[in-house]
Amino acid sequence: MSLLELKNVSKIYGELKALDNVNIHVDQGEWVAIMGPSGSGKSTMMNIIGCMDKPTKGEVLLDGTDISKLPSKRLTDIRRDKIGLVFQQFHMVNYLTAVENVMVSQYYHSMPDEEEALEALGRVGLRERARHLPSQLSGGEQQRVCVARALINHPELILADEPTGNLDEANENIVLDLFAQLHKEGTTLIVVTHDPEVAEAAQRTIVLEHGRVAREVINENFGKQ
Amino acid sequence: MTKRRMFLRMITASLLRRRSRMLIALLSIGIGATILAGLVTIYVDVPRQMGAQFRSYGANMILQPTEAGALTEESLQDILSVFSPEELVGATPYRYVRLDMTSRQQSFNTAGTDFSQVVKTSPYFSVEGAYPASTREVLVGKEVAETIGVKPGSTMELTYQPSVSISNNPQDDRTPGAQLSGSAEGWSGGIVYVSAVLDDQAKIASIQIDAHSQTPEFGGRATEDEEFAAQFIGKALPLTLGQEVDALSGATVTSTAVVDALNNARKATPAALPHTLNFTVTGILTTGGKEEGFAFISLADMESLTGESKLDVAELSISANAEQLDTYVNEITEKNQGVAAKLAKRVAKSEAAVLSKLQALVFLVTAVVLLLTMICVSTTMMAVVSERRREIGLRKALGASDGSIRAEFLGEGMFLGGLGGIMGALLGFVFAQVVSVNVFGSSITFQPLLLPITVIVSMIIAAVSCLLPIKRAVAIDPALVLKGE
Repeated sequence: MSLLELKNVSKIYGELKALDNVNIHVDQGEWVAIMGPSGSGKSTMMNIIGCMDKPTKGEVLLDGTDISKLPSKRLTDIRRDKIGLVFQQFHMVNYLTAVENVMVSQYYHSMPDEEEALEALGRVGLRERARHLPSQLSGGEQQRVCVARALINHPELILADEPTGNLDEANENIVLDLFAQLHKEGTTLIVVTHDPEVAEAAQRTIVLEHGRVAREVINENFGKQ
Repeated sequence: MTKRRMFLRMITASLLRRRSRMLIALLSIGIGATILAGLVTIYVDVPRQMGAQFRSYGANMILQPTEAGALTEESLQDILSVFSPEELVGATPYRYVRLDMTSRQQSFNTAGTDFSQVVKTSPYFSVEGAYPASTREVLVGKEVAETIGVKPGSTMELTYQPSVSISNNPQDDRTPGAQLSGSAEGWSGGIVYVSAVLDDQAKIASIQIDAHSQTPEFGGRATEDEEFAAQFIGKALPLTLGQEVDALSGATVTSTAVVDALNNARKATPAALPHTLNFTVTGILTTGGKEEGFAFISLADMESLTGESKLDVAELSISANAEQLDTYVNEITEKNQGVAAKLAKRVAKSEAAVLSKLQALVFLVTAVVLLLTMICVSTTMMAVVSERRREIGLRKALGASDGSIRAEFLGEGMFLGGLGGIMGALLGFVFAQVVSVNVFGSSITFQPLLLPITVIVSMIIAAVSCLLPIKRAVAIDPALVLKGE
């Protein structure tokens, strides 16, 4: 059953076609990597899937709802309820502690629950760092807080934008292991990356070039490592 | 944890952990609130302050007896009871009489007054020397002093020369210094004549009895009998035979006639004779006005000289606005028959005019300060928003609605407003105090209501100042967080 489906989606900025008649679908529980060089339309696609932008043309079905024409207020609701975001730059609220950053996500979603937030931090191995401010955490730790924040509301889809782009190998592996765990639990993952190693961790890789789907690669080795 | 607690936690964290930026915002609100609270305090206090200032330019209400009426010290005290003690700055009674200084062949207007009140209602009086502190002391106007050539410490005599017999009050037993003469019917229709001189205390100083109409062996002895006459010395009138004085033996009728003659004399001419008292000059008065042509003595001395206790005018200094003064004038005129109250228009009117101008000025400055504070806070919050673009984008990406973003910034703004307001109310009082002490030379009392008002106004100002920055914040695109900025 497909969770996400893009039908003939185009995003046009004046002369530039950032996305040009793209068709993709992602099944429930699937782990998909999206690859492509700079300017291939990855970010545009990410924004559209993340309910932060609307396509110029085409349909975007998320969990059966066409989100391509919804007003931004509705998009905010859907993003909050269904999507967990992980960013390349970590993006934490710099004056809130790790646990408070996780709770911010709960706050906008439903109810802040410190216990649950601490548990989520425990899952990413940072329970004892919960009271630290972002400036007191390493890059890898910050990204793990972001993963904890993304999964705290049990989203149907985790959307990660270059999640390991600024991490060393050790931390990259920790984050990928976390993704694998989430995948096992049935969470749908879409990871935008240009790191082949990160892409290889996924079940399927969609390669974008010049705003179009150039090819799709099924990872034969998935789950064997 | 409830949403509200998380909201407060985020706001306090934002304020406490981002101190430097927030301090600037807090400072701008705080300073604005300080000036606001200070000026409002002065605005409220100015009428009182100015009132006190204006009171130093003299009385603003005059009480005078009507043609048929009379004003006395007692009725004045009665009238003054309509004012509260705070309002009544002073009330000075005046009795004007022209007195002679025979040794210099001069005469000048003399006012009997209460010097303890003069100081209050005419603070601009400038005295070289001192105000009289007791009876038999005189304050002489500069012009008079030059004419008669007196200095503080000099002595002078003042004489009351009545043009008409004034006192018809038989109760009046104070006729000091008067020379009395009277007569009464004695034995078998013969008239006994008595004349006496009273001393300063209205006691008999000397007495002469003419009883030649009486039987020489009996009543006639009264003319010569020194023992009988001596009894009267040092006694005050009226007298009763058998009590203060004893009858001449064998001449009860004649003795009764002597006493009656004295009592008749007192009734007939209590103060109708020139009377002189000696005074010590305590000070020379300079006012630049007509007062320099006057001499001032105590009301008690004036009464001793004239034998009358009436007042010609009372000058009142009332601390109240023009409207209240009008109300008082009506009240006094209605309540007291025989006394007319009127305003010293010049003082009362110019006070109102200056006051309204001053208040308008303070109001204007307050408005400008408010505007500047708002611009300052708005600019700071604008900087805060652009500094936190990424955070706002992140919050929106995490699902914050526009309403949440608004609430968070408004919450921060109002928190700062409240804090700045408390700071401002306290510092503002200090500011107002300093201004008051330096400009008006008097301190002000803390208005407890000022604290909540300043806090609320500061919060409103902060909220209004945040409107534009919040509009900016809400417009931030959540997608910017994905662009790896």
